[in-house]
Amino acid sequence: MSQRTERRGIHVDQSDLLCKKGCGFYGYTAWQGLCSKCWREEYQRVRQQQIQDDWALAAKLQREEEAAYASSQGAQSQPQAQSTPPHPGHVSLGPFSKFEEKKTNEKTRKVTTVKKFFSPSSRTASKKEAQEGKSPSPSISRQASFDTDQVSKDFVDFLKNLQKPGREIHKQSRAFIVTMSSKKDLGADELSECVQDFYQHLADRLMGHFKGSSDSVEQVMDQVEKYIMTRLYKSVFCPETSDDEKNDLATQKRIRALHWVTIEMLCVSFDEEIPEVSDNVVNAITDIIEMDSKRVPRDKLSCITRCSKHIFSAIRITKNEPASADDFLPALIHIVLKANPPRLQSNIQYITRFCNPSRLMSGEDGYYFTNLCCAVAFIEKLDAQSLNLSPEEFERYMSGQASPRFSTSDGDLRQAGSSPDVTATNPALAQLNHNLKLLSGLSSKQESLMEAAQSLQADLIAWPETVQREVNGIVEKYPLEILSRTVSAIDANNMENDNLPPPLTPQVFAG
Amino acid sequence: MAAGGAGGNSGKTYSFKVVLLGEGCVGKTSLVLRYCENKFNDKHITTLQASFLTKKLNITGKRVNLAIWDTAGQERFHALGPIYYRDSNGAILVYDITDEDSFQKVKNWVKELRKMLGNEICLCIVGNKVDLDKDRHVSVEEAESYSESVGAKHYHTSAKLNKGIEELFLDLCKRMMETAQAEERLKGNGASQSASSRRGVQIVDDEPQATPAGGCCSSG
Repeated sequence: MSQRTERRGIHVDQSDLLCKKGCGFYGYTAWQGLCSKCWREEYQRVRQQQIQDDWALAAKLQREEEAAYASSQGAQSQPQAQSTPPHPGHVSLGPFSKFEEKKTNEKTRKVTTVKKFFSPSSRTASKKEAQEGKSPSPSISRQASFDTDQVSKDFVDFLKNLQKPGREIHKQSRAFIVTMSSKKDLGADELSECVQDFYQHLADRLMGHFKGSSDSVEQVMDQVEKYIMTRLYKSVFCPETSDDEKNDLATQKRIRALHWVTIEMLCVSFDEEIPEVSDNVVNAITDIIEMDSKRVPRDKLSCITRCSKHIFSAIRITKNEPASADDFLPALIHIVLKANPPRLQSNIQYITRFCNPSRLMSGEDGYYFTNLCCAVAFIEKLDAQSLNLSPEEFERYMSGQASPRFSTSDGDLRQAGSSPDVTATNPALAQLNHNLKLLSGLSSKQESLMEAAQSLQADLIAWPETVQREVNGIVEKYPLEILSRTVSAIDANNMENDNLPPPLTPQVFAG
Repeated sequence: MAAGGAGGNSGKTYSFKVVLLGEGCVGKTSLVLRYCENKFNDKHITTLQASFLTKKLNITGKRVNLAIWDTAGQERFHALGPIYYRDSNGAILVYDITDEDSFQKVKNWVKELRKMLGNEICLCIVGNKVDLDKDRHVSVEEAESYSESVGAKHYHTSAKLNKGIEELFLDLCKRMMETAQAEERLKGNGASQSASSRRGVQIVDDEPQATPAGGCCSSG
């Protein structure tokens, strides 16, 4: 119970802490509750106003000075004459250059003021700015902070069931997050070390508490991971201290350059003309792309697992036998090449650094993750030999001079000969054809249905007539005879019957 | 080794990771499907995939969770091997007794595994397809003497006839348990435990972990 209120207090604090402009960043009381960005905007607006006032004043002074200058040509007593001494012939240029200088002056002054404002240490301030600049957009980070609250709530709810150890876990996790926030300057490997040490430490303690029931420990550790990593995500995902971003871009570029690689070259056993297979391929691509949107390492892993499962079903449908690794890895490479997942290297590094190690090393998720790592490593090192191409061919494809799919006019004859028809290479067209076939089938079915309905209608109209006719025929065949009717008393037949008891007579009993 | 050690010191459950290495058509998949599902080339195989399979065993009262990792055997993926067999407790190297090349491939794997993982890993060299003995191209003597020379055990199996597979996995599990127990005894004190069981997480694991556990988190 005490935890509950404690947490609620934090929650209120947090929304109070946010920037008053609602941009999703944290505000700071010294900046009137605004975040550094909004504060700077606000500040700049005020300054701009002042600059304009100053400029008006300067212009006025300038005019006075010009008048003075015109009267005494020799006197060069302008305060800011060092840059471009105004030429007597171009008097009109005078105020303009003046204004430029004024503006640069103003700018430098402003910068120093801002710097002063960010004191005590301008270094940390600039770092902060850089970090804020990195977050994709205010709306996204705002969304993220709501997520964070939800996760915290879930975490507390989960720990409530554990009672005393739950409180302990919560305390430790929060303390850990606080310590981590002071270690932002550390390298990625050190950050990973800290988190892994924390996992290890906690897991050991939990192991003692649950008396070796590894299932319960795992359950708790999953929740802890979710809570901690949702909080730390922003500061430890693709940190500035690592090369992750550079690698991301390199991989992305590499995959783009390899757009021409076909499933035949990779020997992937997909038959994309089967609609279920192409559906699975599309789903696999969606899942691997979705990985980037998750914050918790385990959620990212489950995206990979889902992607892998779709690949397996695609192989299973095509080959009609369980997929082995020989089939799976080329297929995964194909999917990665097609999807070009955003920030792939960062995501892999993030999972490697911050996922619970037991999951990565032995579980099913770990296997698929390992395969993804292999796929990426293969793509990075891919050369002519690994696609069974000659080095010249590989070079031509890489440089874009030729394409294996559509042979160019200057491409060689071998290519032109072996170029498969468009339907075979383009799964979308195959799908389209399939759908068209389905539609025409449907319309013919509908036509026959209409015909049947019309004949039914005709039958229905004809039916009363036939009935009428039949009835008439029967009436003619058996004309209605009206027999004379003898009316008799109901009990006439019983008149002679003496066996009947005498009718009951009412009797009166005295008394 | 880490996974086995971590599971082992808590009580009775061991979890082992076993990689399956071998060239394309030597029957790795059939072997593992025969072991886990007891089916061969069956249209009724329920599993979607045969590349990651698990099996629960009970050996002399100890529970063992076996995770079998299949690897892509094509030559072009050879360089990716180390990513697969990192942290594995055992390796099953499969060759086809009718295919001399596949045996050569096994020799390459052994060399690589010993270089990367040392003697921590239990190796099994498996000659598959003994039902095709009349087409044998790898002699029994050569295979067995080679296996002995590299400290591996040699088995003959047939996934088709379900021969020798049960024994292969059971034997391997027993050996891995022995290795894990020996390591536990060696460790003795828990100080180095956390460090070593973390080793698998790093991609580059050549640097020894000097920092004691909990050194940099406040909770200590």
